[in-house]
Amino acid sequence: MNLEFTADQRALLEGVQAIVQDHLAPPAESRRGRFHYSESLESDLLRNGFLDAIRTPGMGALEAVLVIEEVSRSASIVEVGASALVAPSLLSEVLQRPIVLASGDLSKPQRYLPLAKSMIYDAGESVLVFEVDPENVKTIDSIYAYPIGRFRHVPTLSAGRKIGGPELVRKLRLWWRVAIAAECAGSMRSAVDFVVEYTKQRKLFKTTIASFQAVQHRLAHAHRVARGVRFLVLKAAWSCDPFDADQAACFAQQYISPLVFDLHQFNGGMGVTNENLLHFWTYRLRALQPEVGGANTAALETADELWGKAV
Amino acid sequence: MEFGWSTEQEVYRLRVRSFIESTLPGDWWENYALGMGSDEQLAFSLIFCQALAKDGLLVPQWPKEYGGLDGNPWQQFILSEEMWSWNEPRGAQYMGVNWIGPALMRFGSEDQKREHLTRIASGNVTWSQGFSEPQAGTDLASLQTRAERTNNGYKINGMKIWTSYARRADWIFLLARTGPERKSISCFLVPMDLPGVSIASFPGLVEDGHLNEVYFDDVEVPETALLGEESRGWDVIRYALNQERVGLPRYHWARQTLDVAVQQLKDEGKFSDPVVRAAAGRIVAKCEAARVLTYLVVQQRITGEETVDPNVQRVTAADACLDLMNFLIEYTPDCLAGGHRMLENFYRAQIASTIAAGTYELQLDLIAQRGLGLPRVN
Repeated sequence: MNLEFTADQRALLEGVQAIVQDHLAPPAESRRGRFHYSESLESDLLRNGFLDAIRTPGMGALEAVLVIEEVSRSASIVEVGASALVAPSLLSEVLQRPIVLASGDLSKPQRYLPLAKSMIYDAGESVLVFEVDPENVKTIDSIYAYPIGRFRHVPTLSAGRKIGGPELVRKLRLWWRVAIAAECAGSMRSAVDFVVEYTKQRKLFKTTIASFQAVQHRLAHAHRVARGVRFLVLKAAWSCDPFDADQAACFAQQYISPLVFDLHQFNGGMGVTNENLLHFWTYRLRALQPEVGGANTAALETADELWGKAV
Repeated sequence: MEFGWSTEQEVYRLRVRSFIESTLPGDWWENYALGMGSDEQLAFSLIFCQALAKDGLLVPQWPKEYGGLDGNPWQQFILSEEMWSWNEPRGAQYMGVNWIGPALMRFGSEDQKREHLTRIASGNVTWSQGFSEPQAGTDLASLQTRAERTNNGYKINGMKIWTSYARRADWIFLLARTGPERKSISCFLVPMDLPGVSIASFPGLVEDGHLNEVYFDDVEVPETALLGEESRGWDVIRYALNQERVGLPRYHWARQTLDVAVQQLKDEGKFSDPVVRAAAGRIVAKCEAARVLTYLVVQQRITGEETVDPNVQRVTAADACLDLMNFLIEYTPDCLAGGHRMLENFYRAQIASTIAAGTYELQLDLIAQRGLGLPRVN
């Protein structure tokens, strides 16, 4: 047991942080949008090889998680979870990115679909890979802080290329959950930091919002949730164990609702305005809340694992 | 970064586990583990700790010069985790081992070290903690128990409350006021059999005998009872609490209790309900978050990093335990009405866990103010 980062991990983190630092907030013209996909951040990350960290000798899933978490601290987004962690954990070939992760009904809206070049699909008993034809995608205006789209014509499963059976399905769900939790960890940290700073400045009844104990306690809870998610996901990335991935996702996803509620309450603006950055993180979290079945599915899988399937 | 245990640590854990399993009586859960501080558990703790000491497992983390093995905090933690799986068979002695001993090493005179450390390290002394008073719990600096200078030492008057283990304790680690300033508090090492010391137990939601008041009526102690400098007791307290900052691995006990509750539900044919199964699974995630945060705190203790993660860990563990208490009430209500001793015992023991040793709210204050830089609230 040694929870200190290695020198290589620290160097990796510092490298990613240096890039993300330059892209923390979207450009002024994009700040009132629902999301901002940063091609410049993406290009900097690609140029420096950070999205391929997992393929670097001596590095692995844990380093990929560090990259995902740090990139998720930016209010701008880049498709990083599938590209930096999930896809390279499933197959050796490099898929065209951005990559969509999907399961179940393909007629439903999908994260990143309007920009995607590839899709990895959990077909229940097998994993399929699809090339995404941009002409077949309709962009949807949604509340979520991601580009969201639907297929105009839902692809048939025979259009996909099978890359593995049930064992790979388990692996896909494991890494998908880790990627979700890593994005949650970064988004939660930034959202909490943002609101903490706001409450220190904004005055109410002649004092700062931060000086109310009721506010402090709820911010303290938000901080400790973000901290818990961070170390659960690092452990899952280290162990590559589906049980640990379930815990990371289950913990993160069950706390998204109260955390988002509190942060919007304290940031005011009736919780519905987008004149500042908060919604870029919180409505990313809201989109992640139900993925791979959400906290309940992860909890049920934990129950199956620990105490046997329901009879 | 490495989340796995080394072979050496695994071997150490197996050694501790094997010792516990071979030393505890077969009816441990039925007749001994009746709640922290029960007569049966405290009496057994003396036998148990002396056996632990003989096997080098009581104070392995202490320096060799004081009877330890120069072990590291991970060993101390593994020991603690395993002990909590069995409802802490060391009873009150975990206090002597974890913080009273180290406080003596740091602040004690040579005579005090000679008198107390050997006894703690051999497992044949029981200490209690004389901190809380009716008007001074979370706000410890408002305590009223007073120690006045006499020709030969001090005369102590006042009372302490919530003093676990007091009825069986040989000594009390006592805080008393020695000056006019709010923080003019001193630490005293006081034998419990001195004239003027009396104990009254009172009933509560935990097992009877656990809750005690300790009265000090003109109790005369020599100057040598003072630990550290007069009116500098905060230095001792801070140091002692810092030794305890790893906290108690309650999540470990919670996970085991959850397993028992699930077995009970299976026996009753009630564990196929997905609502119940999902509720149990969510508790596991909270326990695992508390576990990994506790590991982080142990790591920080090794590296000397000062953070609010000990407070983060405590709140996270408390939330996991509260969820489990609710789970027990909702899905196994009969077990808390004499139907299952172990489940009932867990519930009773957890009732005070969000108040004792620093309230839940105090932990949140510390996270907010020291961790997030929010202003102090009066």
